[in-house]
Amino acid sequence: MLHRLESLESCTYDRMDMTVLERQAARFKWQQQNYVVQNNNPVELCASSVPQFQGLVGSNLGSGQMVELKRLEVFLGTDNFQEFMNFPVTGPEFGDSEKLDLLPPEAAADYCISRTSSCQMTALDTAVMKEEREDMILEKMESTIGSGRGSFNKRKAETVADHKSKDKKIKGEGESEVKTKCSTEISRNSSKENSKASEVQKPDYIHVRARRGQATDSHSLAERARREKLSKKMKCLQDLVPGCNKITGKAGMLDEIINYVQSLQRQVEFLSMKIAALNSSVENLPMKEFPAYVANFPAAAKLPEMAGLPCFQLNPLQKESVNCMLNETMHPPQTEGIASASVSISEQSLSSSSMTQLQPFSTWSWNMDPQDTVPGNGIISTLQEGIQYQMPLFTFLQDIFQ
Amino acid sequence: MNTSKPPTMDLQNLNPSSLKSRFATRFLRALTKINAQKPISPSSPTEIFQRYRRIKVAADKSMAYSVRSRRTWSRATLWRLRTRSPRSRLATLARRSSVKTRTTTVVDKTSHGKENKEERGAGLGVEEEELRELVPGGEAMDLCNLLDETAHYIKCLTTQVQVMRTIANLYSLD
Repeated sequence: MLHRLESLESCTYDRMDMTVLERQAARFKWQQQNYVVQNNNPVELCASSVPQFQGLVGSNLGSGQMVELKRLEVFLGTDNFQEFMNFPVTGPEFGDSEKLDLLPPEAAADYCISRTSSCQMTALDTAVMKEEREDMILEKMESTIGSGRGSFNKRKAETVADHKSKDKKIKGEGESEVKTKCSTEISRNSSKENSKASEVQKPDYIHVRARRGQATDSHSLAERARREKLSKKMKCLQDLVPGCNKITGKAGMLDEIINYVQSLQRQVEFLSMKIAALNSSVENLPMKEFPAYVANFPAAAKLPEMAGLPCFQLNPLQKESVNCMLNETMHPPQTEGIASASVSISEQSLSSSSMTQLQPFSTWSWNMDPQDTVPGNGIISTLQEGIQYQMPLFTFLQDIFQ
Repeated sequence: MNTSKPPTMDLQNLNPSSLKSRFATRFLRALTKINAQKPISPSSPTEIFQRYRRIKVAADKSMAYSVRSRRTWSRATLWRLRTRSPRSRLATLARRSSVKTRTTTVVDKTSHGKENKEERGAGLGVEEEELRELVPGGEAMDLCNLLDETAHYIKCLTTQVQVMRTIANLYSLD
């Protein structure tokens, strides 16, 4: 087993031309192990190839495995990496691993002792990586920090706070990223040692890893974490706003969101106007059954399909008030360039027939790409169907009104 | 009403504490009050307009109350409604400044002041400002929280529109 590891490391570590398959195999092996850290001699090292660890880190949630990466990096500056094959794990494959203590004493002491407290299964601290080991991806690091919580550098506190909320989706993405990253040739650049992210070996610092070719100062790292947060939230918003699947880019998405919020607000105003107009001709509604009925109404009446409003009739007086409202609340739709969403207000002619007559009246149409939801006409029919099912309620209402 | 269940709707599945039902209850209560205050058939468009204003305020208030103070935008809406005054411009400025101080959710040095707007992060520019204006209470948040608030706000607005549309349809179908 050790030999296998060694061969893996020797053939892959320095030049990082490990194939994806090998990495996957290594990752799988690693995953099979139940990695227990806290009972082990902190001076021992968990030696594995860096890509293995990185891959495994990407696929595991916040356990102490992360910690081992930090330990590894102590030796990354040295060329003795291949000699480190320590796996203090209880897996069958590594049961008989020799425990070699090849640490430079001072580095070992600093790292391991500092990490002893955090080498729990609930440890949250990310590993300290020297910059020459760049296949670690920051997002992956973040995603593997699971439910535990360590001690934080206040500067990095927000980074860690995000880690808890990152979902496995990002972890999965991180895995694929790891593969792509490791497929690139990486050489140990000692020149990057100067700009490594970890400068202190105290247990209360969050050590993050920077990508290859990226700036490594704390500001850019924090900035990157912030950007990741933002993009995650934009994805959530994409789910909420219909018709945003095709739009990429923050600006376009924000435009969509703005349009949607504006249209929602206008719809609220319009509906309140409608209720006000209709209220003038209708008595009070019974309040007992109504909330339940109203709230439980089929949610098929979604916004984007609001192609036609149900019929109601405005007399000339009401027509003027509608115009007042429309003039007050309407402002020209912005950003016409958005192809998939354009708000168009079309005021149909309001005929001035008697109030009892119902005529179609459409004042709003949200032209969007056809979604997989109920078409516009379906709303009215749905409502009417739903209402028909509530015949007892309506007879009751009619009794009230008459 | 529960005796005749339609095949597609099961009224017993209603969650009484859902946002929708909370809002529906409150809004209908407010509607009743509004109806009780004024004569049922107003004679002028102005009256209808006033009624519309009241109904709109009632709708916003009901929604904000249904969300309580859990969200910045609901707090901002309630604050706005509470301190609403006829003098719109001064009051708006006063409200905005007070909303800023009251609804700062992030301990962030960049949350106040126009001079910090550029620092608010990586310039999403005009759209970001627009979004801030749209979402109540959005002036005092950084972009990250603003997006959270926007998501919740959109969800609540959708609920509001659904309920109001149902009510309007029920009114109109009589």
